[in-house]
Amino acid sequence: MKKIGFYLRIYRKILAQDLKSKMSYRADFIISTIGMIFTNIAGFVSFWILFKNFPSIDGWGYYEILFLYGFSLISLTPVQCLFDNNWSLRNYVYSGDFIKYCFRPINLFFYYQSEVFDVKGLGQLAFGVGTLVYSWIKLGLGFSPLMLLKVIVFLVTASLVMIALQNAAAATCFWIVNSFYILDLTLKFKDYAKYPVTIFSPLFRFIFTFLMPIAFIAYYPSLVILRPDAVPLLSWLSPVFGLAFFYLSYKLWMFGAMKYSGTGS
Amino acid sequence: MSKIIEIQNVSKEFKVLNRREGLKGSIMDLFSRNYKIVRAVDNISMDINQGEIVGYLGPNGAGKSTTIKMMTGVLEPTSGGILVNGNEPYRNRTKNAQEIGVVFGQRSQLWWSLPLIESFKLLKDIYRVGDAEYNGMMEMYRELVDIEGLLHKPVRQMSLGQRTLSDILAAFLHDPKIVFLDEPTIGLDVSMKAKIRELIHALNKEKNTTVILTTHDMGDVDALCRRIVIIDKGKMLYDNDIEHLKSFFGSYRTLKIRVDGENSIENVRAELPDFMVSEQDEWVSVLVDEEKTTVMDVLNRLIKTLDVRDMRLEEISTEDVIKKIYEEGAA
Repeated sequence: MKKIGFYLRIYRKILAQDLKSKMSYRADFIISTIGMIFTNIAGFVSFWILFKNFPSIDGWGYYEILFLYGFSLISLTPVQCLFDNNWSLRNYVYSGDFIKYCFRPINLFFYYQSEVFDVKGLGQLAFGVGTLVYSWIKLGLGFSPLMLLKVIVFLVTASLVMIALQNAAAATCFWIVNSFYILDLTLKFKDYAKYPVTIFSPLFRFIFTFLMPIAFIAYYPSLVILRPDAVPLLSWLSPVFGLAFFYLSYKLWMFGAMKYSGTGS
Repeated sequence: MSKIIEIQNVSKEFKVLNRREGLKGSIMDLFSRNYKIVRAVDNISMDINQGEIVGYLGPNGAGKSTTIKMMTGVLEPTSGGILVNGNEPYRNRTKNAQEIGVVFGQRSQLWWSLPLIESFKLLKDIYRVGDAEYNGMMEMYRELVDIEGLLHKPVRQMSLGQRTLSDILAAFLHDPKIVFLDEPTIGLDVSMKAKIRELIHALNKEKNTTVILTTHDMGDVDALCRRIVIIDKGKMLYDNDIEHLKSFFGSYRTLKIRVDGENSIENVRAELPDFMVSEQDEWVSVLVDEEKTTVMDVLNRLIKTLDVRDMRLEEISTEDVIKKIYEEGAA
């Protein structure tokens, strides 16, 4: 527990410093915020067009899919905000600069990820919460503290899965030179997380559940709220899966990092 | 004096893919993996005492970085044992990290966008440095260098010299037992080099910190190191005092003369067939091993046949000796 407190304190300090320095690049901050808003609006527009033409997808109505959409946006926030440095990992490894992270008396994974906090993710969070609340009301789901607890638990689960995917994809750079395509691939695949996994063929359903577990980002967790009468076992198990995926990806990342020996100088 | 680093019969091997040439070769490499074993470090042993400044030298690719990486815990030795402050670095990487500081000349370890003082405060927390120790350290830094101008400057806006200086200060901040400096003066101007050397010297003296210095700049070695260790192709070539180094390779001096007339170097060579003779500008240099013959003797022989106009005598520099060791080591 003392250790967790120590790490939290350090993280808070790094975060405060990082935000301070980010605010000093005002133009950069404003432009990227505008960019983020447009990206999200574009996402909504394509979503809306889709539903103009198909009133329901595999038995899922407009507001239910909107719920999934909002759910996935929120669960993508932690990976966007806290683990964005994964995108730079391959450059650090390729150039040999990664070695500079190896000499601190704190956890290497923590130290590396703590270096970057991406503020843009917070805008996405606002979009996500708005969408979720809106669809929640439209669906007339009602409200109870237990439901809120369930939503929070399953949002955390979903976030862990997304973080795990990105960690694993980023860690491939310890073995192969250009891991960008793998990272990009996971980023593209996560777009499918917004749809019910039942619309895919059995093969892809299997892949998205066990190999590339994007079905845990929104679909399985959402079932607990949206279809409370027929929740599959996988939904209830998803917190376990989330933790397991995250732990495995962390181990993979650390294994790669310990194997890393740097370039000569 | 207590031993702070003990290295015993350490070797490090790497598996390297034998790459074939051309596109066809690359495609074949995809299917058959033909490895060879390269010994980057070959059976090295040495002990380093608390408070020493050791110059760790060797040509490019000699295995210096590999040794440093093993001492800092980034690499695991293939065989042999390393103890740094009683720890096996690779097994206790975090524990070892608490006791060491590392500076790479070209790679800053500070937070790029933060002012230096904020980096220091973060390091204070990460290394759990107490307030009193931290303030004492800052006090000392203020006395040693003009730090006020640097403290509120983001690292990315600093010149290379300022950045190196900051990196060195950051590495000493948690009062480590050992600091590894990898080419700290690379790319710096003369006055900045002098400043950095003074700083390292002062920090070593104040805190009795052990310093392992790798460099290609013999100025660093002359200014800082009493002991030097030279390796090449992974093998240890030399480990002793710097004074010993010169006598180790005989007592050489260089006699430089200016001769009137054509073909001066050929004439000198004809007169002194057993000597190393070279020419630079108008000066002809003769390397004299004083254990075999004296400089006066050589000069006398030359005056008899040649019209020597001017002469100069040069002591051999550390740089010359090291160059000689590298060249003989490579032969």
